Formats: sequence, C-alpha cells, structure tokens
Amino acid sequence: MNKRIKTLLKQAEVYKKQGLLEDAKVEYKIVAKLIQNSENIQNKDKLLSAVSKKIAALARHAEVVASAPTTPEMSEHVNVLIKKLFSFSKDNKNVSKEEADLEGAIALAKFGQFDAALKEFERLLSSASARLPAAKNILRCHVTVDSSDLAFAQLDRWKSEDLFSTEQNETLRTFLEGLLEKKKIKKGPKPAEVPSPEKEEDAVGGQPPEPETITEEDEEAEDISEIENEKDDSDEEFLDISAVAINFDSGPHAGEQVELDVSFQSGNIISLIISSKDESLVKNLKVGSKLDDVHFYSPIAIFRGSGIVSAMTKIASGPKQGDYSLDIKIESI
Amino acid sequence: MAIFNIKKREIECKVVYYGPGRCGKTTNLEYIFKSYKKQVEGEMVSINTEGDRTLFFDFLPMELGKIKGCDVRVQLFTVPGQVQYSSTRKLVLKGVDGVVFVADSLDVRREKNMTSLKDLQKNLKEYGLNIFKIPLVIQYNKRDLQDEGLPVMSVEKMEKDLNRQLKAPSFAASAVSGDGVGKTLQECMKLTLQALHRQFNWSKEDNG
Ligand SMILES: Nc1nc2c(ncn2[C@@H]2O[C@H](COP(=O)(O)OP(=O)(O)OP(=O)(O)O)[C@@H](O)[C@H]2O)c(=O)[nH]1
Ligand SMILES: [Mg+2]
Repeated sequence: MNKRIKTLLKQAEVYKKQGLLEDAKVEYKIVAKLIQNSENIQNKDKLLSAVSKKIAALARHAEVVASAPTTPEMSEHVNVLIKKLFSFSKDNKNVSKEEADLEGAIALAKFGQFDAALKEFERLLSSASARLPAAKNILRCHVTVDSSDLAFAQLDRWKSEDLFSTEQNETLRTFLEGLLEKKKIKKGPKPAEVPSPEKEEDAVGGQPPEPETITEEDEEAEDISEIENEKDDSDEEFLDISAVAINFDSGPHAGEQVELDVSFQSGNIISLIISSKDESLVKNLKVGSKLDDVHFYSPIAIFRGSGIVSAMTKIASGPKQGDYSLDIKIESI
Repeated sequence: MAIFNIKKREIECKVVYYGPGRCGKTTNLEYIFKSYKKQVEGEMVSINTEGDRTLFFDFLPMELGKIKGCDVRVQLFTVPGQVQYSSTRKLVLKGVDGVVFVADSLDVRREKNMTSLKDLQKNLKEYGLNIFKIPLVIQYNKRDLQDEGLPVMSVEKMEKDLNRQLKAPSFAASAVSGDGVGKTLQECMKLTLQALHRQFNWSKEDNG
C-alpha cells in the first residue's frame, strides 16, 4: 500500500485513541480520497469500505460523547466536596457561615446538582442573612428544571407561612416573573450548536443545560432587566494586533509568507507601512483586494483569519516618503 | 484568592491546569498523583464523562511543607477542555492563584491551543485578573509523539504562536511518561508563591 496512506492511517489511529475524533475523521477522509484517486491500488472497493466503516464508527463514538449527560447526578461525597471547594468565603471572618454556605449551594446548582442544591437552600432559609438569596435561588432552581408550577406553589407556601415580609414576597414574585420572562426570550431563537460563553446567568435553553444555570449575582430583581439586554458578543472588542503574516496566493510573492509589523490600529482596521524597497509586495494589491490567509499576532496568540485592503497610499512626504501605507480591514479572526 | 491563616501560619492556594480538550491536563495530574505520593494529601477526584473527558474538574490537594515558616497547601484543578463546557471552565477558574496552560503539540491542534489561550484570557479578565500578571507557566505537551513520526509542531513555532508576547516560562513535556510534568508544576508553584509572598509578606510576620 501507498506509504502516505499508511502514515495517514497511523495518524488517524493515534488521534482516535486520544479522543481527537474530528481530527481522526479528517485523516480517514483524506485516505478515502487518496484511495479513490489512485490508479494502482488493488481491491480498492474493499479498502474504501474498510475506511468508511472506520469513519462510521467514529461518528457513532462522537454521538455517544455528544449525548452523554452534561449534569449527571453526583454522589453525596462529590457534592460535599463541591460545596467545600466552591464556598470561597468560608475562611473569611467578615462573612457569616451561612453566606459562605450559600456560595457552596450556588456552586452545586451551577454544576447541575439541583436536588442537593435545593436541600441546602431550604436549610439556609432558616438563617436571616441568607434567607432572601436562598429563596431566590430556590425559585431559580425550579425554573431551570422547568418546574415553574413548583416555583409558584413555593411562593404561595412562603406567603402562608409568613416567612417573608409583604414587601419581600412581592420582590420574590417579581423575581420569579422576571426569570420566566427571560427564559421565554432565551427559548425563542434556536440556540447555537455550541453555546457562546455566557455571563454569570442562567443558561437555560432548549439544549441540555450546561452545568452553570444559576447566577451568583442574584441580589436584586432589577438585575434581570440587565440580563435581558445583555449582548452575547459584548466581549468581542478587537484584540490588539501587533503584527501580521500574510500568505500570498498570487502575484510576485505567491506561496510566500511575509511578516509585517502593525504601525497603527483603529478597531478592526490595521495600518502597515511597507518600505519602498519592498514595493513588489503591494504590486498585486489594490483597495478591495482580499487576503484570504493572514495570521494576526495579538498579545496572547496568533489568530488565523482574512482581511481586505481598505486603503493603500504612497507616502508623499516626510521620513517615510516613497513607502506605502496599507490599511487592512480584519474580516474574520 | 489564596487563604492565608496568620494564626496557624498556613497558606492555601489554587493552581488551575487550563488548555484545549484532550491536551493532557488530566494526565498531568494523574502523573503528579502517582509520583508525588508524599506531598499528596488525600485522593485525586476526577469528575468525568464519556471517554474520560473531564466533565466538571479534576481535583488534587497537596501539602508542600514549610516554606518561609509557613505551611503551604495547594489545590490543583483541571478544567474541562471541551468547548461546550465554557461556563464550567470559568467556574473552576474562580479564585485561581496560578495557571498552567497545557498546549497540545500536535499540528492538528494548533488553532485549538490559540482559542483556548484566548478563552483563558477572557475568563481571567472577567474575574479582574490579567493574563500578563498572573503566575503562568506554559507546557508544550505530547512531545513524545514526534518520535513516533506524528506531525508535531516545533517548540519554536509554539512559542511564537502562544508565548510571543506573554513570555511565560515554558516547558516541553510528555505527560504520559511524566517528562517535564514536575518541572512545570515546580515553576508554577514558585511563581505563585512568590506572588503570594509579595501579597501577604508572610515571612516578616515571624519577627512581629
Ligand atoms: N502520546 C501522548 N499522549 C498523551 C500525552 N498526554 C496526554 N495524552 C493522551 O491524550 C488523551 C487526552 O488526555 P487527557 O489528560 O484526558 O486530556 P485532558 O486535557 O484532560 O482532556 P479534557 O478533560 O477533555 O479537557 C489521553 O488519551 C492521553 O493518554 C502525552 O504527553 N503523550
Ligand atoms: Mg481532563
């Protein structure tokens, strides 16, 4: 058999063993193509069918991984550990024990351990300092696991038990309504396949919930209006790009990678100075030219993406006279 | 968010192993658990899902003994690397004092390393921490695969990808055999304790 195919098969096996299922699949697909296109391989069909079996097995495996429960119920031992490890204020003298316990209980809920969390929150209702947040989190747990009936029943019970003042009862009701409203909004559009990183809020959606479903900032009901307005991509401010490496696919530098420093950046436009002696670099470029393969060097890592030439001028005066100023608009990173 | 108990002269800190899915974070902790028996305080707890992927975290408590007159304990954690566990990763990172970023040397994981480092930066930032300032060590793992003829990036290339600006101490490693695992942890502990020492200034307390 072809040596290249052998190498690829070995790679695919290693990737598979390491759980890099997507990467293994890519290798097998290349192998399949190579076999298909090869003239001098005997029993092509047999080989092809063997490879597609491998691909199918990978797909099944990936399916099992993807459908594994994201918040399975943990043992008592694990829950005790979670409580301990995630109640960060437990050694802080300025924080009451109940408030520290509250942190632990919130962590349990964030890890999807709703029954255990509810037990804790219920226990904490007896503490004056933790009572209101504990109640809010009880409501939150019910809403998260889709039992809003239980949440309303709970509200009624608290009312009849006189556990809270009239004002607090009202706060709790508004809080619950806010949660439900928010959930309705979140359920609206189909959630993306890979949930975008959430802020500290409930990640309740049509998808199996990720462990984090409970927020810590549950102080006041007004928080909810903020949550509704929250933009998912608020963190997508542009990274500082210090340099770029452009892979040219045509022109005098086709096939070359050229690294250039960024002299200035404004949002998603970066400016480069190209010395007159490197004029050939800009020969094939004009405003609107697309650069399909650019490495953007940011302070923390390099990102691969594409850009469009948005301006190009020959500098007419000053120390850089004769050099080119090239603006590239970052299209995608 | 280390806990410093002045009376008992104890300090407890948290080091988190971060990195893309399948890069070898859990394998690092497993090796430490096996090889540093004396310093390990109790059991390693791993909360996994299908195919040994970390679901919540791995947890390994260690007792490092007396450093500058203070009993030092460290809790080692790993985060789940799979992309979809984004908020668990953030939760586990809470209260972190030092970070080991484990990068996968396999060529095919290049982009994943970068994305994960960016994710780390973002999550630290949300806790008010700066990736340039936090004690951070980078590990280039799975170096052994190069000898097996697999497409592996050179350390230089990975340095350029990930460490060009961070300039964090970095180590080549092979977590399965344990090469580089101890060095990585030691360096991260050194940086973490230096930072905490600056913060709490605990050795001065001896005189007071
Ligand atoms: N050859 C080789 N394989 C390694 C090395 N480190 C880890 N592996 C393998 O890579 C796979 C993933 O390792 P883990 O330690 O579970 O990776 P992880 O980073 O904890 O993965 P997640 O929990 O999914 O984020 C396992 O099959 C390990 O045996 C290494 O240094 N060399
Ligand atoms: Mg793991």
